[in-house]
Amino acid sequence: MAVDPLAWLSSATGVPYWALRAVAAPLLYPGLATFMAVALFIIWAERKITARVQMRVGPLYVSRRLGGALQLLADGVRIAFQEIIIPEGAEKWSFVLSPILAFTVVSLAFTVVPGGPGVYGFRSSLSLLVTYAIITLTPILVITMGWASNNKFSFIGAGREALVSITGEATLLASLLAAAMMYGSMDFVAIVGEQAASRVPGIAANPVAALLFFIAALLVTDRVPFDLVLGEQEIVQGPYTEYTGLLFALTMALDYAKLYVLMLVFTHLFLGGWAPFASPLLGSAAVFAKTVGLMLLAVFLRSVYGRMRLDQVASMFWSRLFPLALVAFVISALIHPIYTP
Amino acid sequence: MASIALPGMHGREVGYSGGLRVVELNIGAQHPASGHMRLVVYLDGDVIVRVDPDIGYVHRTVEKLSETREYVRIISLVERMTIIDACNVTLPYVEAVERLLGVEPPPRARYLRTILCEVNRVASHLYGLGIGGIFLNHSTMYMWAFGDREVFVHLASLLTGSRLTHTYPVFGGVRRDLPQGFRDEFEKAKRYMLARLREYDKIFFNNPVIRGRLEGVGVLPRDRAVALGATGPNLRASGVRYDARMTGYAAYGDLGFEPVVGREGDALERVWVRLREIEASLEIVERALRELPEGPFMNPRYTKAVPPMVRHWLEKGRLKLPGGYVRLKTRPGEVLSRGEMGRGEITYFLVSDGGTKPYRLRIVTPSARNVVLFDALARGHTLMDLPAIYGSIDYFPPEADR
Repeated sequence: MAVDPLAWLSSATGVPYWALRAVAAPLLYPGLATFMAVALFIIWAERKITARVQMRVGPLYVSRRLGGALQLLADGVRIAFQEIIIPEGAEKWSFVLSPILAFTVVSLAFTVVPGGPGVYGFRSSLSLLVTYAIITLTPILVITMGWASNNKFSFIGAGREALVSITGEATLLASLLAAAMMYGSMDFVAIVGEQAASRVPGIAANPVAALLFFIAALLVTDRVPFDLVLGEQEIVQGPYTEYTGLLFALTMALDYAKLYVLMLVFTHLFLGGWAPFASPLLGSAAVFAKTVGLMLLAVFLRSVYGRMRLDQVASMFWSRLFPLALVAFVISALIHPIYTP
Repeated sequence: MASIALPGMHGREVGYSGGLRVVELNIGAQHPASGHMRLVVYLDGDVIVRVDPDIGYVHRTVEKLSETREYVRIISLVERMTIIDACNVTLPYVEAVERLLGVEPPPRARYLRTILCEVNRVASHLYGLGIGGIFLNHSTMYMWAFGDREVFVHLASLLTGSRLTHTYPVFGGVRRDLPQGFRDEFEKAKRYMLARLREYDKIFFNNPVIRGRLEGVGVLPRDRAVALGATGPNLRASGVRYDARMTGYAAYGDLGFEPVVGREGDALERVWVRLREIEASLEIVERALRELPEGPFMNPRYTKAVPPMVRHWLEKGRLKLPGGYVRLKTRPGEVLSRGEMGRGEITYFLVSDGGTKPYRLRIVTPSARNVVLFDALARGHTLMDLPAIYGSIDYFPPEADR
């Protein structure tokens, strides 16, 4: 029986167990501390993988023995000491607050998404829907950033964010609901339990929903080939053009945090969560490994594709992928009995 | 900007211009994808209604400086316009001066010039493909093209001793003879490049995302291309069978040259023409190496004057130019000469008053002619198509600004 450090802390200090859990999940695992480590690794891996494909070396000189793994840390230090410039014509409060608020909102998702068996902040019968709601709150703040910057590139980027989020989230929600319908539950713990009980992971039962979820997640998190909101060659850095210093770091971390949350959700919905383990430690390790693997797949696409055009993305999602989501619903309805006997 | 007050927020109108509801967007001169220039783009919604290319940011007064320099010194001046295509940019100038001097390069020199020109053309096309790739955010094409370009830069450095600014063709011949081992190195390079071209097709040219970005974008019909004076691969992609190499300068007349001609005239076709021209150039170099005539690589009129002390270099295939070479006097007159660079046709108009320096040297570079395409091709497309069009016409600001 593994020792639960939270239970020990609770008995030592007298703070209720549920309160400790609600703080530890978003701050430690699967929350911010883990996210920092994941971001450090994923951005390094992204640069190393692309470099490998492109006949380059990639980051190397910062921590040579680790293959440049600490490059992002060095960049972070540089960014932390950079002056935060607020443009003269910008709306100061919304300019400064929206990236902070956006990142905070995304971090809230870590309270409901479990990181392993029994490792979560809250358990709710609607946790899947809550996660989706939190993820879809951020575009509003990104649009605020674009508006507040008082820059035409930012403004166009904000417009793109509006279009992209509506386009992507419709498909994302449809694939989520198809999965929820298949398991007959919106609780992550119950969903993982169903998969463990039937020994069929969701991706095998409903591959269409899994595929749609993955593609829509790429769009929502601005990954190549759907990095329309960033659109460096047209609109410099989209809504984030005017940001500097730590605020810029937050805007960058925002997309990676969303990707991390969505890939955690993908792990629970379609890859069986902490299966094949049941203990908190090994189960958490399984969830972590699956999530990082999915994120590696998402960042690898950068070295294969370019950027799709806005109208092509919109027409692909609305006229091809969204109708496909209806197929996912049909599959869910047919496959439903294997999960709830 | 005009502003309107909204509760809690500060509303702005994004702009009216000339009674039209357009947004004026300055892409450049500080922009990740503008190059050394500024594109003033007028947008109605997401649709481009006009593009004003604002050029001249890298103007270096090449034409005026030429009037103050001796003929041989101008060679290394004009190649600064396009250092990535140095042989192609200097060759027509060298031929123009040769005509005024009344010197003929020996056949071996003509072949060697052709070889370096084609090696340069491959390097130039790879540069253009790489830039075209990153314009579509395809970083792999960017890195691959620039990496593989090193192969051809290496070939050029074998032949001439320098990577980019070779100053290889000089009046009456070339600076160096073909080095030992060049043929083997070229064989390797050709085999490697042909294999790589197939991989380019896979990852870039036949990539569905890239196809979607390029197909049907920036269509330049045949008659429009002629009317606008487009040149180079952009002209040939529209189905016009024209290439300055068909005039048969250097050794092109002997080698039986056939230009690559496209049909559709869209951005995809322009990229296709460049890819196939790389293959054609490799063919030309191979044929030139096979048929390379024996003999001197420099006109005896100048090698005669090489001082005895440095004469042994000549036997080793390297030219040490005689001192009087810098004070060459041409006969008075006017010469027009042209050649095909990687990006299109370059024209020199040289006026001499019989002195050691030109009276006037007028240069029309291919990019200076292609700059009209920005406005002509981008109208009616969305903002996202502008980088695709920019990348597909392979525009190079330093070359256009001279």
